[in-house]
Amino acid sequence: MSDTPVLKGSNKRQRYESLVADLYQDVYRYAFWLCRRQPLAEDLVQETFLRAWRSLDSLQNDKAAKAWLFTILRRENARLYERYRPELVDIEGQSIAESDENEPDSKMDRELLHNAINRLDSDYREPLLLQVIGGFSGKEIAAILNLNNNTVMTRLFRARGKLKQEFILDADGFDD
Amino acid sequence: MDELEFQKRVYANPEEVDQEVLDAARDNPAYQKILDQARELNAAVTSLVNNISVPSGLADKLGAIPADDEAATKIASKPAANSNFFQYYAIAASLILALGVTFSIIYNNEPAVSDLAFGDDILRHLYYEAAEIESMQSVIALSTVTAVMASAGSQLVANELLQGLSVVMAKPCVILAAYQSAHLVLEGAQGAVNVIVINNSPVAVEFSFRDDRFEGMVIPLGDGGNLVLVGEKNENLDLYKDLFSENVEWVI
Repeated sequence: MSDTPVLKGSNKRQRYESLVADLYQDVYRYAFWLCRRQPLAEDLVQETFLRAWRSLDSLQNDKAAKAWLFTILRRENARLYERYRPELVDIEGQSIAESDENEPDSKMDRELLHNAINRLDSDYREPLLLQVIGGFSGKEIAAILNLNNNTVMTRLFRARGKLKQEFILDADGFDD
Repeated sequence: MDELEFQKRVYANPEEVDQEVLDAARDNPAYQKILDQARELNAAVTSLVNNISVPSGLADKLGAIPADDEAATKIASKPAANSNFFQYYAIAASLILALGVTFSIIYNNEPAVSDLAFGDDILRHLYYEAAEIESMQSVIALSTVTAVMASAGSQLVANELLQGLSVVMAKPCVILAAYQSAHLVLEGAQGAVNVIVINNSPVAVEFSFRDDRFEGMVIPLGDGGNLVLVGEKNENLDLYKDLFSENVEWVI
């Protein structure tokens, strides 16, 4: 289970504010990797939270809030791309932190990995993003993507396998 | 456990492997190497993916959504008044020390990159609204138009031409959250005509923009505001430009 906090407050406004405070950064990052454009990601997040606000009463289990928000976001993203297909550009480099102790050793490595993630087919990229950004379990990802758990685990295996093939030169054993 | 099975279980989630996997890794250096590599790769992926700068001010915009939405709902749910109300409003408004709208169309200046980006923002906003706009079939009451305009600090001056327009939607803009703005949708010759009145000046130079579907123009208003007109391709927007340039006043 992802570590969704229980929303604080008894009235709708307080629950909403708790939802924003606890989850907006994860929601934004997921939006960013989904649509790959900063302004579009910001619009998606605003539209997601607007819809969340309007239907907050339907959220019966606060512990499911994160999965609920991510699901709304995916639907918004799909709606957007049904009508509007902007020319995609690569993620702006300035949005990626320049350094971190756990990151690859050099900027070139970060770019290689970043490009490798972007090249993943969405079938593989989406469960990976849900796992590493949302912290969702296989079952939660399966529910969000409307897949069975085995399919999710296979896609996660293949997603990391493809990244390994591109990122670690001596990778092997990850045939589709 | 064979190597393929081991890899599948490790690479599905390197950070949450079960005891059987850990035992296999402990007993087999080759498996331990696979586990270490998977965890190293996963740490890099997790770090990279989560090191995205969240725009400053986003939390504030999200926090403002309930108040904005309640205000929009309040305006939209106001009962339709009869036409006398609109005329009364217009007459009363004339008593307000209103600033007349003048256009400062600066033909010699080119739009800045930020201006052109604003055009992109408008188009994106319209694509978001497209389904709702296309579903609007009924002409709404002028009192609703008046209330929405007032929410953006503006008002329409009543005249026969304006009252003859078919306004099918009027609401404060939510997507353009940084600005107070009113979004009207009229029935045009080619489809919906969007009129967005913005109560400050994100753009100082008149310019046009278009994509495969829409054509639009941003017109700076002399007293600190913008008029945005967007229609389907080949819509004669100049008609609306003239009409609204003569019938918008600021009250704030």
